[in-house]
Amino acid sequence: MSAVRFESVTKSYSGRPAVENVSLIVEKGERLTILGPSGCGKTTLLRLLAGFLTPDKGSILIDGELVARDGRNLRPAEERKLGMVFQDLALWPHLSVRGNLEFGLKARGLPRLQRRKRILEILRLVQMEASANSRIQELSGGQQQRVALARAIVLRPKALLMDEPLSNLDYDLNLRSREAILRLHGELGFTLLYVTHDRDEAFHIGTRVVVMRHGAVDRIGTPEEIREHFQQVSL
Amino acid sequence: MCKRAVLLTVVIILVVVGLLPVLVMFAKTLVTDGHFSFASYKALFSSGRQWVLLWHTLALSSLTTVLATLIGLPLGILLARTDLPLRRTLAVLFVIPLLIPPYVTAVSWFHILGREGFLSQLLGPAVGARTSGWLFGLPGCVLVLFSTFLPIVILLTMTYLKTVSPHLEEAGKLVGKWPRVLRQITVRLIMPGVLLGAMLVFLLSMGEFGVPTFLRYSVFPVESFTQFSAFYNFEAATAATIPLGVITLGLLAVERIFLRSKTYQLRPAGTDHQFPRIDLGSGRLWLFAIVSVLSFLIVVLPLLALVIESFSLSAFRGAFSRAGDSLVRSLTYAAIGASLLAIVGFFCGYLIHTRSLPLWRGVDSLTIFLFALPSTVIGIGLTTLWNRPSTNLIYATPVIIIFGYLAQYTALTSRITVTSLAQIPPSMEEAAQTAGAAWLRRTGFIIAPLAKRGLIAGWIVGFIFCLRDTGISMMVYPPGHDTFPVRIFTLMANGPPSLIAALCVTLVAATLLPLGILGFAFRQIRSHK
Repeated sequence: MSAVRFESVTKSYSGRPAVENVSLIVEKGERLTILGPSGCGKTTLLRLLAGFLTPDKGSILIDGELVARDGRNLRPAEERKLGMVFQDLALWPHLSVRGNLEFGLKARGLPRLQRRKRILEILRLVQMEASANSRIQELSGGQQQRVALARAIVLRPKALLMDEPLSNLDYDLNLRSREAILRLHGELGFTLLYVTHDRDEAFHIGTRVVVMRHGAVDRIGTPEEIREHFQQVSL
Repeated sequence: MCKRAVLLTVVIILVVVGLLPVLVMFAKTLVTDGHFSFASYKALFSSGRQWVLLWHTLALSSLTTVLATLIGLPLGILLARTDLPLRRTLAVLFVIPLLIPPYVTAVSWFHILGREGFLSQLLGPAVGARTSGWLFGLPGCVLVLFSTFLPIVILLTMTYLKTVSPHLEEAGKLVGKWPRVLRQITVRLIMPGVLLGAMLVFLLSMGEFGVPTFLRYSVFPVESFTQFSAFYNFEAATAATIPLGVITLGLLAVERIFLRSKTYQLRPAGTDHQFPRIDLGSGRLWLFAIVSVLSFLIVVLPLLALVIESFSLSAFRGAFSRAGDSLVRSLTYAAIGASLLAIVGFFCGYLIHTRSLPLWRGVDSLTIFLFALPSTVIGIGLTTLWNRPSTNLIYATPVIIIFGYLAQYTALTSRITVTSLAQIPPSMEEAAQTAGAAWLRRTGFIIAPLAKRGLIAGWIVGFIFCLRDTGISMMVYPPGHDTFPVRIFTLMANGPPSLIAALCVTLVAATLLPLGILGFAFRQIRSHK
């Protein structure tokens, strides 16, 4: 069974299609990157999956369960059991690192001991255990990045969605963060949907790359296939 | 589901406390002797007195608005963007009259310009007679309402100036000097804010009844209040409110159609770019002197007059023995009102900001309409709806006062919430949603803490407006439950001037003291951090 499935999904804003007739299957444990220029609909696709937007037409399935269809959100975002890392990270500044991680676990009703254990495990994985009680503002950009990632995976989501999370980082930190994501994926094996406009990033992170143009899927392939295609087009 | 239920409950509360009373009151004006009739309106338009009242009302509102706008706009720019010395202190000073009931300012001026006022004692009774004649009438009303509502234009100018991108001014500075940049770029960009301020001043001056009552200038709100409270003539009282309601509705429609679309989203809130500070050069000290003298004349002098007049222990002893109970009541009602206003305003603001229900625009318009509506209209509306034996639990208890506060002041806390929510990225709530948190949990643990500054500011503003409220409390207070401003107002008819001055000073202190303490506490917390 696929982890995520889009079936002929269309979404328009004021009559202008942002996503048009997109069909896509993401397998369990796969790292799928969605690549495209600004305004091509890649973030809209991710937000449709997260449940922040409702598709005008088409269906979205998570783990085989229908979550949205033809203008109806059948499962709200809070019930889809996904993890998400936002472009601005969206770390809650009034909570500590631990508080940020614990919020979702509390919402899902995990007992205190289990919460502690899980938070410790994840913080160790992202090498942030020493900063558990730190305030978000006290952390560096790279550390905040890792906390955002930890917050998303501590919930053991059905799929992890990342919306251009490294776009604000300098090149070195960007590279190190990519490595950290790949390492975590290797250890935990989650399904990853990663949105970016950076080809290098998309080829590095994805096992499969989806290229989007004008709201539609333009091409799907392995990083090597897509790279080759781009090289041919530029020639 | 829960979100829908909570937001709909808040909408229903607003409809019950605000819209329904006004609608029922309006419907009653169309019924005479049990039949549908326009008799009240025929009487209204055939009476010559109504036209005089209309002229007086419009003259008072227009003059106050023109004066407040012409002076408030440059003052706002001077206080927000220049190197004028003591800018912050002066800005705080100018805001004080807005925080106290306008009739208190009228009483202060009475002690200066009245027949036996300080000026009369200083320059002789002939001068006193002349200034008294001037005070009791249109000029006096304009003076008091101008100083009361001037801060609205100043504050809106200062707020809108913060939304202008410094780059736009810097681009202008490359080709022209500051006066030209201000005239041709800055002022044009903030014009929607200035016009909004002018409209609010117009509406609030039009609805004010305490000052014209004290200074004996006949306007619609005074007529309405007198007919209602003194003659128990409901039809005449209601008829006198209709022109006010129609003008309010008309102006708000104009604002909705023309100003909303012209509001420039020039600079997102929270952008850290520094504003270029305008160097006043050699004119700095002159302008400082002018602004200082103005603040002394319209803020310090009237307050000083009150303090001097009340300066005896016996006056304060008398004040507390005659109105101590109503002071405690006022503080209690204001605290309850502010807390409810903070809650209802928060959810209203959330609804307007997130557009969670299709009727968000209607809710926004309703709160603004109720805020702009003269308090006499809301007061009569509340009485019309709730004054029946079956609803005595509301009408014969302080609940009716709280209803009035909610009806009139929700716009304030709702607008403050909208502003503070606009500074929270939507991803904050979305992140909580993805984490599996239901709406109430997200609101309670993420949104409310992030908007806590707005919530606290909303509570303080709500507290001040409830505490200073005279119009609604005066119209609806049940026997034995009068508030402090109402007690002062009623004692003014026959109480000695020193007692009234002591009561007014107590009211000013009760308003400003908690504000000062809170301001000090916030500063300490911030410096501690």
